[in-house]
Amino acid sequence: MGAAASQAVVALAIAVTCVAAPARADSCTGVNDKGARFATCFDPGNRLSITAATDGGNLGLGFGIALRHEITFDDDPDLEWKMSHVLLDGSHDALSSSFDALVYGGLFLRHSRDGHIVIPIGEPKKVFLPFDIGALAEVGRLDWHVGEPTATVSVVRLAPLVEFARTWSHRAVIAIGPAAHWDVAWDPEMHRVDEYRVAPFSEGLLDLRLESHDGLTVVDGRVEGGTAWRNDTGWKPEIRAQASLERVVIAVDDRPVALTASIQYDSATAETIAAVGARIVLIGKTDPRVNLNRLTGR
Amino acid sequence: MKSVYVAIGIAAFGIALPSYADGQLPAMDSERPVLCLRDSADEVWRIQCDPSTRVCLYAPNDELDASGRNRVKALERARTCELDAPFDRKRMEADGYTFVPGKVDAPYGWMRDERQRVFQINFDLKRRMYFGVAYTPEKVLENPLASTRTSIDFGLLIFDVKSGTDAAPTMHRFRLFEGQVHMAPFSSEIVMAHYDMSHRFIDPLLRITTFFGEPERHDLGLNLGMWNEVGDLELHPTPYGYSQLWRHATAQVTLDLWQSHDMDSFVRVRTGLGLEGQRDDVNGYRSAIAFSSAFEADTVLDKNGFHNLQFEFVHEIPRYFTATDTTPLLTQRFLAHLQYETVLLAINDQPLTFKLAAGGEKRDDLPGVPNTWAFVMDAGLRFNLWAPPRRKPS
Repeated sequence: MGAAASQAVVALAIAVTCVAAPARADSCTGVNDKGARFATCFDPGNRLSITAATDGGNLGLGFGIALRHEITFDDDPDLEWKMSHVLLDGSHDALSSSFDALVYGGLFLRHSRDGHIVIPIGEPKKVFLPFDIGALAEVGRLDWHVGEPTATVSVVRLAPLVEFARTWSHRAVIAIGPAAHWDVAWDPEMHRVDEYRVAPFSEGLLDLRLESHDGLTVVDGRVEGGTAWRNDTGWKPEIRAQASLERVVIAVDDRPVALTASIQYDSATAETIAAVGARIVLIGKTDPRVNLNRLTGR
Repeated sequence: MKSVYVAIGIAAFGIALPSYADGQLPAMDSERPVLCLRDSADEVWRIQCDPSTRVCLYAPNDELDASGRNRVKALERARTCELDAPFDRKRMEADGYTFVPGKVDAPYGWMRDERQRVFQINFDLKRRMYFGVAYTPEKVLENPLASTRTSIDFGLLIFDVKSGTDAAPTMHRFRLFEGQVHMAPFSSEIVMAHYDMSHRFIDPLLRITTFFGEPERHDLGLNLGMWNEVGDLELHPTPYGYSQLWRHATAQVTLDLWQSHDMDSFVRVRTGLGLEGQRDDVNGYRSAIAFSSAFEADTVLDKNGFHNLQFEFVHEIPRYFTATDTTPLLTQRFLAHLQYETVLLAINDQPLTFKLAAGGEKRDDLPGVPNTWAFVMDAGLRFNLWAPPRRKPS
């Protein structure tokens, strides 16, 4: 009886182990009591999303495509390019008919295990630097409020960056650098430019991004400030700042739905706008740590 | 037996890390074989022997710390080597070999310092993203930081792609969103997309046989190519407000008068047609067909890509469909531009370059602007991303 009982226990343990083993998913895959799997981690850098947000008086509907990837090298495993792209990111305010959009924005960060500067005078010398480098580039940003005489078109915005987070992933970015931009105030009725604003690297830029390990929480921030030249009034100080928080609260068919909160300030309009909303990912890349393969018993 | 050889080799290199305080260490040859040997302390060394000079260079298989005594991390951009291969130092010394501390070899375009740290020393400025700032020697005295003669320039993506064979190569040159913006007075030029192509033909397009005396064949090589731009926008101040010149599309045929072997450098002429339109606040929009020709030289002056020289002389004849009070239907534009760019230093292997440029322009297509030569010269810095080593000569 004792031997039979112990054999039964062992058999049961083996059976339980065999069935339960596939259900022991990693930390980014949840399993319900029926054995169905679901994602608990998300990739906020690769998605097509729509956002609905309000600042209290207006209701905006936004659209955006985000892509990011890494470029690595077989002969130098200590080097990685972290490439983040934003395409056709825009929003339209249904009540005020205002519109803002960005055709392309890119953040390119070169992460290496040891930063350095090479001085190629005489025998080249290598001096250690404690940061990564990179660049930010934006092309074609439009900000148009119906009723105002001009729309602001930011033709190009550029900033070489030094980055201090120095991570292999995209989850943390702490970057600063001098910024250049060329903006125009466009009169859509007269089809003419009323004002040019140019900052020839006379502004500073601070770019921050923090993501939680599971991608459920994302904090973004950017501050730009300095002086810019205007063709009508000459050099003027200006500052822009924006911050946003995104928190995934539910997922539908493993597509995350997040609550968002944002605040932005622009000295050109002396406006501070805060908004809250919701963002739905329509198409997104499944986080590689997630395993949604169907469970199989044995 | 193999272990005996290795033990001998280990004893040979278990002496000390090379001291580099005395001078420059010789570098191993990246084209010759290299061995990896483990010493009695389980440290790996690289060794390369040259039978012609009877010299063996040896170096630690790791990067060293600032003192040069301690190994801190694995080598970067080092090729794989055969570990613990048979090696008999005593026999080699008996054969006349001497053993000298050296540096591990680096890939083409890279080098190592005495601590075996690798860094890039060769830059291809024809594959990069860049942006820079330039100044002319005029400042607002009240506020020296607020220059009114400042310009920024940028190229979002510049890359050349070489295809074909060594004998008949083709160079495809792409430029995306490249331009510059000048301040006070404001002017700018942006090109959304540029593509040009050069080809070296094996067979001459024309061969002429002469029959005066002994028949002789004379080849006439015509290295034809193409040059195209779309979405070119120029903004200029005029008495009638800012003039917007949109070169919607331009297509030209090129004839390379000279090509470097690697096709990175060339001298050529080009000619073709473009569709454009100009708009100002008084005259509105008027379109034109522009005939354009240019003489162009683009050369990389050294093998490491540090010195780059460009020259361009352009003649454009836009034929407008509508005249203005101050400009005729048929107008002319002359543009000359000379630029020298050199690598100053590299930050994390991304080069910072110095640009010195001079240019002149004479045109009668801008309403109210005198048809005289205007010259500009500026100097500035460019920050470059990517800029990998140039292609290794074949």
